[in-house]
Amino acid sequence: MLPFEEQVVADLLEDPNGGLVVLSSGLPLASLAATLLLHLHHQSSSTSSPSTSTSTAAAGCYLILSAPEALKEQIRRRLLDSQLLPVHDVGPDVPAAHRRALYTSSSGAALFLTPRVLAADLLTAHLSPTRVGALLLLAAHRASDTSSDAFIARLLRQRRLLPVYAFSDRPHAMVAGFAKAERAMKSLYIRRLHLWPRFHVLAAADLERAPPEVIDVRVPMTPPMVGIQAAILDAMDACLKELRRTNKVDVEDLTVDKGLFKSFDEIVRRQLDPLWHTLGKKTKQLVADLRTLRKLLDYLLRYDAVTYLTYLDTLRVSEGVRSVWILADSSHKIFELAKRRVYQVTRPDGTKVITSIKRTPTKKRKVADTSSNKGKETENEDSTTNKDDAQKVNALEEVLEEAPKWKVLRELLQEIAEEQSKGDAVVHEDESGIVLVACKDERSCLQLQECISKGPQQVMRDEWEKYLLGKAELHGLHKKKKKRQSQQPKGFGVLDGEFPAGPSEDAGPVSIRNLETNALLAAASGISKLNKEADVKDDSVASCSKRGSIKGKGKGVPKKIVTKRQASNRKKKSTTENENCQGTDVEASDKTDEQSEIDVSKVSAKDDKQSEIDVSNVTAKDASPASTADNAENLIDAKMLPPVQFYALDSDQHVLDTWKPSVIIVYHPDITFVREIEVYKAENPLKKLKVYFLFYEESSEVQKFESSIRRENEAFESLIRQKSLMMIPVDQSGRCLGPTPASEPEPILSQNSLTRKAGGRRATEKDMQVIVDMREFMSSLPNVLHQKGIRIIPVTLEVGDYVLSPLICVERKSISDLFQSFASGRLYNQVETMIRYYKIPVLLIEFSQDKSFSFQSASEVGDDVSPTNIISKLSLLVLHFPRLRIVWSRSLHATADIFISLKTNQDEPDETKAMRVGVPSEDGVVEDDVRAENYNTSAIEFLRRLPGVTDANYRAIMDGCGSLADLALLPVERLAELMGSQKGARTLKEFLDAKCPSMIS
Amino acid sequence: TAASQSKNAILVSNRQKGNPLLKHIRNARWTFADIVPDYVIGQSSCALYISLRYHLLHPDYLYYRIRELQKNFKLRVILCHIDIEDVVKPLHEVTRTSLLHDCTLLCGWSLEECGRYLETIKVFENKPADSIREHTDSDYLSRFTHALTSIRRVNKTDVITLGSSFGSLSRIMDASMEELARCPGIGERKVKRLYDTFHEPFKRVT
Repeated sequence: MLPFEEQVVADLLEDPNGGLVVLSSGLPLASLAATLLLHLHHQSSSTSSPSTSTSTAAAGCYLILSAPEALKEQIRRRLLDSQLLPVHDVGPDVPAAHRRALYTSSSGAALFLTPRVLAADLLTAHLSPTRVGALLLLAAHRASDTSSDAFIARLLRQRRLLPVYAFSDRPHAMVAGFAKAERAMKSLYIRRLHLWPRFHVLAAADLERAPPEVIDVRVPMTPPMVGIQAAILDAMDACLKELRRTNKVDVEDLTVDKGLFKSFDEIVRRQLDPLWHTLGKKTKQLVADLRTLRKLLDYLLRYDAVTYLTYLDTLRVSEGVRSVWILADSSHKIFELAKRRVYQVTRPDGTKVITSIKRTPTKKRKVADTSSNKGKETENEDSTTNKDDAQKVNALEEVLEEAPKWKVLRELLQEIAEEQSKGDAVVHEDESGIVLVACKDERSCLQLQECISKGPQQVMRDEWEKYLLGKAELHGLHKKKKKRQSQQPKGFGVLDGEFPAGPSEDAGPVSIRNLETNALLAAASGISKLNKEADVKDDSVASCSKRGSIKGKGKGVPKKIVTKRQASNRKKKSTTENENCQGTDVEASDKTDEQSEIDVSKVSAKDDKQSEIDVSNVTAKDASPASTADNAENLIDAKMLPPVQFYALDSDQHVLDTWKPSVIIVYHPDITFVREIEVYKAENPLKKLKVYFLFYEESSEVQKFESSIRRENEAFESLIRQKSLMMIPVDQSGRCLGPTPASEPEPILSQNSLTRKAGGRRATEKDMQVIVDMREFMSSLPNVLHQKGIRIIPVTLEVGDYVLSPLICVERKSISDLFQSFASGRLYNQVETMIRYYKIPVLLIEFSQDKSFSFQSASEVGDDVSPTNIISKLSLLVLHFPRLRIVWSRSLHATADIFISLKTNQDEPDETKAMRVGVPSEDGVVEDDVRAENYNTSAIEFLRRLPGVTDANYRAIMDGCGSLADLALLPVERLAELMGSQKGARTLKEFLDAKCPSMIS
Repeated sequence: TAASQSKNAILVSNRQKGNPLLKHIRNARWTFADIVPDYVIGQSSCALYISLRYHLLHPDYLYYRIRELQKNFKLRVILCHIDIEDVVKPLHEVTRTSLLHDCTLLCGWSLEECGRYLETIKVFENKPADSIREHTDSDYLSRFTHALTSIRRVNKTDVITLGSSFGSLSRIMDASMEELARCPGIGERKVKRLYDTFHEPFKRVT
């Protein structure tokens, strides 16, 4: 643990109300939480006997809410290491009885819980607040006065004054919305805000004491990549301009820079949400398009050329008709360039077939613009491969551009291996020598692993073969369905890769398209033939020979020498850079003021022009994708490589402590991971650690990385400002009053009044209660009902969501739910059963407070009665169920008021009766309240959507096989047994095993 | 023929004369008649029209109108025009009144919408509920998409990706985490969600 963490915990413990800690992402949240728990434990066990008379002798358990799996694991590990505090994971699958036992037995233990389970257990008094020592929330940015976290905090604080400790490592989420931090704190009964940005003096000092050695490697992108990036940015820009033109959004927030982040969607949605239902289709599509484009930008740097093309093809099928951007000029460019990174079609005479690409992709967009004015059709440098390859008719020339980072990675690994084998530094005992390569996702990890073992050429080839096989399959399919295809409307041209012919085009797009298709199919059939042969022959040999035949240009470059020289080249460079780096490090520790963010200063090593030039020198020579390294040679090289571990950042596992790498190559830079490295290094100050960052030069990657730092700093600055203006109401003894003090009588007081006002006046007031389905605890309505003083009885309901009285049952639908469940037909079934069992069945249509109070935009009403319109669906519903009552509610609070008003003069609902309603009697099992948790609901929903599966037989299927995976393998006879129908079983089996049409054209 | 004509038209009470709503009933025929409800839409359905603004001025009006309605209409619609900003209190009252007196409340935010409800109920008078029930038969691809998109966050692009990478639904259901992770566009979380859906038992506790 680092010294500053002690300080964080010490600060937190000062206030008996608890506190909210906001820290930079990547700082050790798990270790902080664990330390806090240990401190609490220590504190209570040392002062347990006399000091506080109110608290029971035992400390009570510590509840940890909504911890993500990875974080949970880390905290658990740390606590188990200490051996002081028992830890239990009370997941949703733990049965109620077992949970109750855990609560009563585990005083002084840490319990991990989900809010849903905890809220229900508190309401049903399975867990008494007096048994709770403290509440820990690890995702404070999600708290608001209607959130389930706040609900739980209130349920606990009402009965017992326990501290609430909240953490958030997403500062930017803490500033989203007006006075978000303050409102979150009020709702959690927290008075103090502790800010721990990375640039906090203490944190910075700890992390910068022995910083790792950092080398920043800038890899230039290939010209087509640059072109695609520019085109995507163009398209995004166009979408943004279009969005601005709607006059519905605040222009200032909408920049391409911000568009790189996921949170951009949130910004736009937050602005548009209040009027989302009134927006036209086009505006909604623009927002969706921006999301797609951001993904494309991301995948451009992450995926190899072939996979990227595949993804684009997929997109074209799934988005083609709807998207706005897909028809734009720049998107044409994206598709063309992506194709060009993979293959090129040549005419019989050997000249290239060039589809209309109007701009030369160059590094600078301005230049590109001017050349587009000339309307010149130029070739890409990389695709000018030898032109005298004339033996093939309509030959497909493979380009198969490798990702530039692959090469650099290999070189780095070789260099590291050399260093290690030289043994220039005496290897310490504790050094593993492991090289950790950190990528964004599992997929990249797998691919890089293959790159190293098989060689990048082979990887590209494998992807390419897969691609071609997909095409071949599709073609086979299309032949069968030719009739249908010919009927396709003209507008679908874009789906086939045809684009509206520009006037300047010299060849008809159709003929080009045909040429291309034929060539692709020829290559594909070649491969499928070879694959059949490969059953006999060795696979790799086959593909090698085939490569020779198609390309016919395996150049015998003495590769080994080249790589050697590069390696030594790089070596020199890195040593000079080391010096530079140390230089900046010294600088960084010199200026210890708040702005000396270590990662900024380290990244500033990138300003070192020298290094950029070096790298580009090295790679530029070999960037041309045609240059080949022999497979055999690759394999030999691989043997020389150091032990490499791959790590997917998305997996959220914290591997640094387990693998203890001595070199880390950050393949996909990520700010959180940078902090984790820093913390790891600071925790192990004696260990030697070298970190390489691989950035694509002038790419969105760099932009994204830099603006994520900027964004976080801005968030903290804003939080610092907010903190100075914050007003949290407290009572005289310094206790927080919480969000709605009026509706919360203090427990002691109310007890007194009970005794004083002879006979208990409160008892005469009707204690209202509402039965709530367990699944509804995902929403905020139970929380708000509770705020209004209604008793909530959580049970699992088969029919309806809320039971207000023996007569009134309510099915609640938010607007999006309503549309969805109309579409799926679920609503019809729900209403049908509700009508069967209750005298007053109610459909509650609940609008969101923050959104506009209307159903649809005026334009959507249209001139005619359209069966798809929501009005038609509602009308049909009320025609078929005239007994159905509809409640239109403006907001959560309005709903609560209506509930109360409907309940007056009605009897209170009976929970055991409500629970039994609609439960099939043949089941025979007594339904207990955790039923919802005991089922894999997602799997059941999936199952029920399969053909042949009906309301009557799905339970039997579930009983007969463990999971969907089992179902997939079940023979048809067994299915027939389970389903009680030969026909149904056949339908299901046929559907499961049916060959999916390959939909990518 | 007059009788049959009135059978195919919406009957409008004379009280509604001058209601601009009538301009917006264009997809169904209507005719004035001497009736108790504001509108008799079909054999068994009728409607009362109220605007929230009017309700604010005459809070008892709706109750008295409902009391006049006979019980021989199966569907009794209160058609409420939301024509004010501050809706919570008046809408609460209208909701309560209609609910406790066996009426179905429908809200429209414009006269067009209100008119459309009347038209639609007339036009759909004898229409089966197929379009709001679960669709039973359709082509392979829609069923395939329908099933896979039941899993949260799985979109149409993912469906196509999965379909073309694995070849059949049973192969997808049996796929390993690693195989799923290899599909472009399917991130870590989606992989886990897919895998869990297929491999976690239907019943978690036996």
